[in-house]
Amino acid sequence: MQSSPNMLTKFESKSSRAKGIAFHPKRPWILVSLHSSTIQLWDYRMGTLIDRFEEHDGPVRGIDFHPTQPMFVSGGDDYKIKVWNYQTRRCMFTLNGHLDYVRTVFFHHELPWILSASDDQTIRIWNWQNRSLICTMTGHNHYVMCAQFHPTEDLIASASLDQSVRIWDISGLRKKHSAPTTISFEDQMARANPGQADMFGNTDAVVKFVLEGHDRGVNWVSFHPTLPLIVSAGDDRLIKLWRMSDTKAWEVDTCRGHFQNASACLFHPHQDLILSVGEDKTIRCWDLNKRTSVQSFKRDLDRFWVIAAHPEINLFAAGHDTGVMVFKLERERPASAVYQNQLFYITKEKHVKSYDFGKNVESPPMLSLRKLGSPWVPPRTLSYNPAERAILVTSPTDGGVYELIHLPRDATGAVEPTDVKRGQGTSAVFVARNRFAVFSQGNQQVDIKDLSNATTKSIKPPVGTTDIYFGGTGCLLFITPTSVVLFDIQQKKQLAELAVSGVKYVVWSNDGLYAALLSKHNVTIVTKTLEQVSSLHETIRIKSAAWDDAGVLLYSTLNHVKYSLLNGDNGIIRTLDQTVYLVKVKGRSVYCLDRSAKPRVLDIDPTEYRFKLALVKRNYDEMLQIIKTSSLVGQSIISYLQKKGYPEIALQFVQDSQTRFELALECGNLDVAIEMARELDRPNLWTRLGAEALAHGNHQTVEMAYQKQRNFDKLSFLYLSTGDQEKLSRMAKIAEHRGDFTSRFQNAIYRGDVEDRIQMFKEVDLYPLAYLTAKSHGLTEEAESILEACGLTEDQITLSTIEEPLRVPQPIVPTFKANWPVKAAAHSSFEKALLGEVGEVDDEVAAIEFEPEEEGEVAAARDTFEDEEEDVAGWDMGDEINVEEDAEFVDVEGAEAGAGGAEADLWARNSPLAADHVAAGSFETAMQLLNRQVGAVNFAPLKPRFLEIYKGSKTYLPASAGLPPLVNYVRRTVEETDSRKVLPVIPRDLETIANVDLQEGYAAMRANKLEDGVKVFKGILHSILLNTVSSEAEVEQAKKIIATAREYILAMSIELERRSLSTDTPEGLKRSLELSAYFTIPKLEVAHRQLALMAAMKFAFANKNYSSALSFANRMLANGGSPKLLEQARKIKLQSERSAQDKIDIEFDQFAEFDICAASYTPIYGGSPSVSDPFTGAKYHEQYKGTVCRISEVTEIGAPASGLRLFVPGQY
Amino acid sequence: MDPFSAEGELINIHNAFHQGQYPAVIDFDPAALSPENQLPARILQLRAQIALGQSAAVLAELAGEDDSNPDLAAVKALAQQSAGDLESAHTLAQDLAENFPDNGTVQVLAGTVLQAQGHSEEALALLAKHQGSLEAVALIVQIHLHQNRSDLALKEVQAAKRWAQDSLLVNLAESWVGLRVGGEKYQAAFYVYEELASAPGTAAPLSIVGQAVAELHLGRLPEAEAALSTALEKYPDEAEVIANAIVLNVLAGKSAEELEGRLQQTHPSHPLLSDIQEKSDLFDSAAAKYAPRVLA
Repeated sequence: MQSSPNMLTKFESKSSRAKGIAFHPKRPWILVSLHSSTIQLWDYRMGTLIDRFEEHDGPVRGIDFHPTQPMFVSGGDDYKIKVWNYQTRRCMFTLNGHLDYVRTVFFHHELPWILSASDDQTIRIWNWQNRSLICTMTGHNHYVMCAQFHPTEDLIASASLDQSVRIWDISGLRKKHSAPTTISFEDQMARANPGQADMFGNTDAVVKFVLEGHDRGVNWVSFHPTLPLIVSAGDDRLIKLWRMSDTKAWEVDTCRGHFQNASACLFHPHQDLILSVGEDKTIRCWDLNKRTSVQSFKRDLDRFWVIAAHPEINLFAAGHDTGVMVFKLERERPASAVYQNQLFYITKEKHVKSYDFGKNVESPPMLSLRKLGSPWVPPRTLSYNPAERAILVTSPTDGGVYELIHLPRDATGAVEPTDVKRGQGTSAVFVARNRFAVFSQGNQQVDIKDLSNATTKSIKPPVGTTDIYFGGTGCLLFITPTSVVLFDIQQKKQLAELAVSGVKYVVWSNDGLYAALLSKHNVTIVTKTLEQVSSLHETIRIKSAAWDDAGVLLYSTLNHVKYSLLNGDNGIIRTLDQTVYLVKVKGRSVYCLDRSAKPRVLDIDPTEYRFKLALVKRNYDEMLQIIKTSSLVGQSIISYLQKKGYPEIALQFVQDSQTRFELALECGNLDVAIEMARELDRPNLWTRLGAEALAHGNHQTVEMAYQKQRNFDKLSFLYLSTGDQEKLSRMAKIAEHRGDFTSRFQNAIYRGDVEDRIQMFKEVDLYPLAYLTAKSHGLTEEAESILEACGLTEDQITLSTIEEPLRVPQPIVPTFKANWPVKAAAHSSFEKALLGEVGEVDDEVAAIEFEPEEEGEVAAARDTFEDEEEDVAGWDMGDEINVEEDAEFVDVEGAEAGAGGAEADLWARNSPLAADHVAAGSFETAMQLLNRQVGAVNFAPLKPRFLEIYKGSKTYLPASAGLPPLVNYVRRTVEETDSRKVLPVIPRDLETIANVDLQEGYAAMRANKLEDGVKVFKGILHSILLNTVSSEAEVEQAKKIIATAREYILAMSIELERRSLSTDTPEGLKRSLELSAYFTIPKLEVAHRQLALMAAMKFAFANKNYSSALSFANRMLANGGSPKLLEQARKIKLQSERSAQDKIDIEFDQFAEFDICAASYTPIYGGSPSVSDPFTGAKYHEQYKGTVCRISEVTEIGAPASGLRLFVPGQY
Repeated sequence: MDPFSAEGELINIHNAFHQGQYPAVIDFDPAALSPENQLPARILQLRAQIALGQSAAVLAELAGEDDSNPDLAAVKALAQQSAGDLESAHTLAQDLAENFPDNGTVQVLAGTVLQAQGHSEEALALLAKHQGSLEAVALIVQIHLHQNRSDLALKEVQAAKRWAQDSLLVNLAESWVGLRVGGEKYQAAFYVYEELASAPGTAAPLSIVGQAVAELHLGRLPEAEAALSTALEKYPDEAEVIANAIVLNVLAGKSAEELEGRLQQTHPSHPLLSDIQEKSDLFDSAAAKYAPRVLA
């Protein structure tokens, strides 16, 4: 017999002897009745004592929860059966009747019955609804130790110290107590003539079978949940298995092993196992079919008295001398491994399956591991090796075994694996493509083995190592109870050690840079070099973890899925109704395995952690994106932002005006604060705003705040200090109106207005003061008139000596005109991003200032490429190219010796595209192709592109020392190995050109950097000229890009030409006006065309060409766009309409359709002769035929050409 | 027993050499080795010095040695080759090939010299005489690949795999072939190099470049960039790191001028530069054949 490595204790309590146990069917609760007369209610998941019930007198032996109602029943040595309500925490009533100790009490699963067994040799059934005794079963002639209802049928089993087990039929009792129905004749007969009445004439419950076989007293008996089986435990130390049919019952077998009295036993609810406990201090587990011992667990000191099983989940509880333990028989964590988009896992049937995260489908079973370890022990771990498509499975059986198995190519069913390598070891993991490590805890050794299972190296791990994990390539992590050690296998060297205790699992991030060390209550995040990044504690047990692609750790506890950022910020993502083991996080889905090893997908809302991650990484674009697309408003996120010191960002979330005001003050955003104060308009807000604005030196806002509060004194002082004399005098007038003399006096002093002061003193009859004021300021006349008015003379008054009056200083600087230079409000880049969106329109308007040379920066790219319908002449993709394609492929590999051909030569042979020839280094043929396709003649501008393609075609792999590197050829056909189909990679694909280069060109246009723009667009043309695409659709896209580039080059060249002209001469001015008009012709993006129109309109208007200006304004208005722009257009339109005449006649027919010659920048009206460029399609007057195209600078105008070829069907 | 086999005492220095960890080879203390392994260890150290460009020091050291020792003479030939003294290297190598064709060191080193000077057939003939030397096998594979005979290279590797499946050199040689053959083999080669590059004990420019090259061939540019940029920081003067970084930048559509300048400075004779120069001239002469009918 082996001791069990698998019995996992989940909870233990300390108390006096536990005699009875009951699981709550739904909640994580357990009732324990103690020898000390107490009944305890525990939450075994949290490990807390919820309640105690102490009304029994003496030991309580029987206890049971009602399956649905909030009540339980107990029976004790005080002969009493008590029924309790655990919500009201009171005993509802007591059932009296037994004449000796009550041993067990049980509820019926559906009827309102309680079954009790007692030392008075009776078994009784009680109705708890009417609280009456409905049946007494006699027959045992010693203590009845246990009596249980059958889970479905009308049967009772009882065990007694009279050495017998009895099965009772209680169908009669049920009939008697069920609702009255029409009674059939037979029933009436049966009632009238009780046939099988026992010796007391009792027909309600009759003995069906008496099972004799134990030769001591029987302590316990249990029914099998589904089969007609019974198990009993007795003082003869035996566990006996019985079977019954309708007519008879017999002993099947005996389980021998207990060496003391067996106290209790039961059937495993789901597996073919029997569990028993005894006074020999053991819990034993037996195979139901073979009746052999499967495992046993021994306590040192405590005798076991009782065992109970949870009805649903895999949990048991056993009561012993000093308390209760709750335990599981086996681990429920399914062994699994994730590789890229696949999960490999082992089901409860021990089948290996895979699950595809992309398609969300389970594969059929691939392998059966039935023979691995013992049948009752599930495999513990699974390690996957993608290079070999092999798995390494460990099982804890027999001190640990591992097996190395190759997975079959296709999942065809649960086949037994062939070619299995196995060995002894506690854990085994792959550490490299062809190596794995096996750890044996017993002799504390790690063996590195190759795929043939031969040991290549042995390592002595640190003392006390309990487990090993993959530690990055070529490294191992040793787990000891107090630390984790990173070990380099190759160098046999310890690289790092981290003190972290009790680590159970290690989860690596997808990029292999971080690992999460999980212990029971802690998550520690470390780097790949084992430096601690963060750590967090959970009170609830941590079960599993998986990494998001963005580097966020998601972990599951017993009841939550939570996240943790690298900096340790964490939070709850969702709750769980059952325990799951996370395996992967992809977007909004969390993949996990549940306890039955079924893959499940949980939907989560990653917004919160993505947002926090973006915040930490200062990725404001992403934050903006999240704010826009998600409803991320809530007090928690706001307080999070505030706490983390980002009030300005919090501001963006808040709608509530009061909160906005507070946040705005906090981050010093006065504009928002003013807005909110206006909205709320409460005096105390204005006060605070005023104080804040004063601190900023923003006195205009201060003024507004004081005005709002009607705070005249402060307002006056503010005007004084800013030197605003005008407003001061207005304040004086206001004071006069209000009749507030103090204020008036104050203002007068501030202004140095002596007359007003005297006048005021006179008004309030303070003549002495008025006189004194006048006198002291040398206003003698005034002083005398006051004296006169008072009827006094100068002799009659005595004056103290008057000194020179104080002059009010005059303001030197007109401070009031503007705010004090305020430090630019600290706009975070986040705000800038936000404002950028709003501000862009303004920037575009700025770009149209008539001297565009002076503009500022224009916000970054925004436009997307819009289709422009423009037919490109000379493009005829249908034409076959006349290139010397090798009709027959020469197989050079036939030769036995000598050098072969380089792959580059194959490229030129395999493809008719010019770009592929360039990559192959065959420049001559590439030029021939381009010449035929698009009439290319001037190759010099293409040189950078040629060399670029060529440079990108080869890599240099260092091999043996002393020799030049091996040259390999980079293919765009990555999957292809057929030498007739391989093709080179061409840098700058169409996507890059459309998304990067083209946007750069647009940006140059907006920023008015036209020289740069021309360069960029020409670069685009050259990039496309030598390129390959993968579909006909892309060919169309390439055509559109060529057309766009042509239009922009033309437009920019016209404008550049105009800027180079002087407008001093009449001819120069005329030509300038014409060119600015032509600038509006090329088909640009609407926003850019508006720029051209705006420039042309203003230029025409300034030179009094009102008719032209009017036509440009009309076109602008038709195009629509930003209101500011349109406003200007409208104004000019109004003014121009008054005299719609052109002062200078120019060659520009605003009503005709025409093209612009790209060489002379003059119109080509419809019908007049023209030639076009075979590549770009640019139009020219006929005299330019045969010259190099001004737009492409490569091709010859009007040359015969078959059309550019970028795509060969079936080639890619 | 083969002193380079997994249980031999030379395994570490041998692996370090072939992983390109030359400083580690030089720092290796041969004192602890048994007498018969002293010489092979010393030869590896000398070769590591040559690989690091210290051929002058090696020549100086060998000047005082007995010339009749074919092993050291072979090292000398290699040092001469590396120092640019092609003529004497060639003569010495041919000499050794004739007189000591069965000496393993001579096979490998003289073979290297012959191949480096373009005498592939002679080199192959000499190397074919090897008796289970993996170094010779690796060299043969490389020569075949150089001749674009991946079929023969593959045969050689597969033969070697039968008797030395797990050897580092066989793995490397298989990856060389894999990178030439392509398809699924790219990924296999990647695994080999990634394993070497990611373990702190085996990381060297050679392995990182190998990993990056495999990524490039797999079309995984961002990953290749990550590998190469860390390599550039660590080994700013490694020719192959710079050369492949140039290729990467071109493929990613970025400017490679700065790197080309750096390569020009540190390794003016790198094949990439000479190749580009040649192609640039080719372009000019080819482009000169075309002209527009009318000059503007």
